Amino acid sequence: MTASALVIEDDEDLSEIFAEALRSAGYAIETVGDGATARERLAGPPPDIILLDLHLPRVSGTDLLIEIRADERYAATQVIIATADIHLGQEYQQKGDLVLIKPISFTQLREMTWRLRTNNTPV
Amino acid sequence: MSLKRLNFFNRLIHITSDDSDESRRRQLLNIILLGVIVLTIILMAILIIYLLANRQQTASNDIKLIFIVAGGLLLGTAGIYFLNRYVRRGIASIVFLVFFVIIFNFADSPDQLANGRSIILFSIPIVMASILLKPYLSFIFAAIVSLDIILLALWIDSPPNFPAITVFFLLALLSWLAARSLDQALHELRRTNATLDQLVQERTRQLEKSLSRERIEAGRNQAILESIADGVIVFDVTGTVINANPALLQLLEREPQEVKGMNVNDLTRSRSMDARNRGILAGLLTNPGQQGTSYRISWKKKTLSVTSSQVFSTEGVHIGTVAVFRDFTREAEIERMKNTFLAVVSHELRTPLNSVLGYAEMLKEAIYGPINEKQIHAADRIISNSSRLLSIINDLLDQAQIEAGRLIIHPSPFKLAELIKNVHEVLDKLSQDKGLVLTSGCDPRLPDTIVGDQVRLQQILINLINNSIKFTRQGSIHFRAVWHDRKHWRLEVQDSGIGIPQEELSRIFDSFHQVNGTASRESGGFGLGLSIVKQLAGLMGGSVTAVSKVGEGSLFTVLLPLDTQKAGK
Repeated sequence: MTASALVIEDDEDLSEIFAEALRSAGYAIETVGDGATARERLAGPPPDIILLDLHLPRVSGTDLLIEIRADERYAATQVIIATADIHLGQEYQQKGDLVLIKPISFTQLREMTWRLRTNNTPV
Repeated sequence: MSLKRLNFFNRLIHITSDDSDESRRRQLLNIILLGVIVLTIILMAILIIYLLANRQQTASNDIKLIFIVAGGLLLGTAGIYFLNRYVRRGIASIVFLVFFVIIFNFADSPDQLANGRSIILFSIPIVMASILLKPYLSFIFAAIVSLDIILLALWIDSPPNFPAITVFFLLALLSWLAARSLDQALHELRRTNATLDQLVQERTRQLEKSLSRERIEAGRNQAILESIADGVIVFDVTGTVINANPALLQLLEREPQEVKGMNVNDLTRSRSMDARNRGILAGLLTNPGQQGTSYRISWKKKTLSVTSSQVFSTEGVHIGTVAVFRDFTREAEIERMKNTFLAVVSHELRTPLNSVLGYAEMLKEAIYGPINEKQIHAADRIISNSSRLLSIINDLLDQAQIEAGRLIIHPSPFKLAELIKNVHEVLDKLSQDKGLVLTSGCDPRLPDTIVGDQVRLQQILINLINNSIKFTRQGSIHFRAVWHDRKHWRLEVQDSGIGIPQEELSRIFDSFHQVNGTASRESGGFGLGLSIVKQLAGLMGGSVTAVSKVGEGSLFTVLLPLDTQKAGK
């Protein structure tokens, strides 16, 4: 079974780059451009991995993160936090499985997510 | 009432003259004349009462004679009085004394006058002459009365009364001596008075002069103070306001009468300030720090820059405190706008640059299909140039945050070895690309885990190593964490680069400073990297130094406080 990834990022270009990196790392991709749509999507089946931007329109990424962590269905989901704010990143270090500070390199993201997938995919 | 009468009496006897001796003598004569007039009137009144009481129809010849003499005396004295009032010098006195001498000739029988009891009468004009006229005139009158009694003696065929004449002259001598010494004493007194007067006048003039000079100076200083655009307030040693210029009153929205006499507490107790600003202002005004240090405080909607300093007199005595308030609202607003602008611009620039970098990487990684060597090279150039641009933007953002005081150090426990390893990984490729060997190390004396801001420490190392890579053409770069003492540790970056000229060493940590413009343009950079290192080190309570030799390389050392207290958690 292919691992699934949900990219929550409002910048279209970055969203595409992140999606391509995750796709190259072997994930099936789904993208969402704002916080409210993301919340609706999160009501559905949980993906294996979520790439979450903390600055989002309508509903903030930090709120979404709290909701995800409070939801038992997401216990097995890995969350990668993407933020341009170094200290916000430090603050959420414990809540995310991986914290990436923007600018995020395509190749680095691909390598890291590939490692995450191969370490966790049930054989 | 009595004062009025006294004034009237004074007016009656008063004589104005340039010569104070003369006016004194003529006034004395007036007193005597008035005395004579009053006595004569009293005598006539007594006689009339006596006549009325005895019911005498006709007066005796003697009494008639007395009336005639008294009337003559009255008229004569009155005449002399007017003469004394209006004719200068001692004319009136001479006339008066001569008049008296003549009158005395009829006061008794010639025998009594020349040799008997009435001879004493003639001593009066002699004494009076010395007092009413010049002292020496007592001799003239002694001569006159002597002549008179000789004539009287001849008249009654008796020998001249020589003992009496001798007594007259002795009396004249005595009068002369007494009057002269009185005159001299008065002269002396007047001279002393005149000197005193002059002294007082001189002192008064001097005082007036210095007072007016002080007034002019004070006025000028006040005018200068009032025309200064900055608010100036002056406190005395007790902290009481003694002066405040209009600009200050306008800044603090106070009335002049409201501020004078206020103390520091009254001034800072305004509701327009929060506790923090109140504390800063009170501290500034009661305990002024080094001269020229200014602080910013918020007052209502204004931002004020306040500078205070102690005032010392020319003798070095502390006499108060002066504070200068400047309206900094506009500047603060511009600064805030600048910082916001920088932050927004940096963020807005970084997001598209992230995309540029991402797409270039995807091209290079052949995500969108295979590409040839030249295309890979082009993608590489895009990546390296965008990375450079990104690091410049990051530096600018950091610089702006440091300047605005918004860059805060977040210390937390971290593993030193991890920091060194991360930095090595990030910069290893860049060094290799330039043909340099990057080595690193960690002093075993240092604890595994220490407390610090890992992100900012990493930034310090990356900036220093980047700088070394830029200025090293061949050889190696070594960086390490070293134990310094029980309270400090060091981060060191050593390179075999071109080195820094001695005269440039002190300035390499200044913002936007570049050593030798062409070289750095070649190497790329904005001149902010080292400045940020210095400021970050400062924020962490540390410092950075550099030693270098041109052609041999440089050693950068960051000395930092060693904090392991929270490391155990």
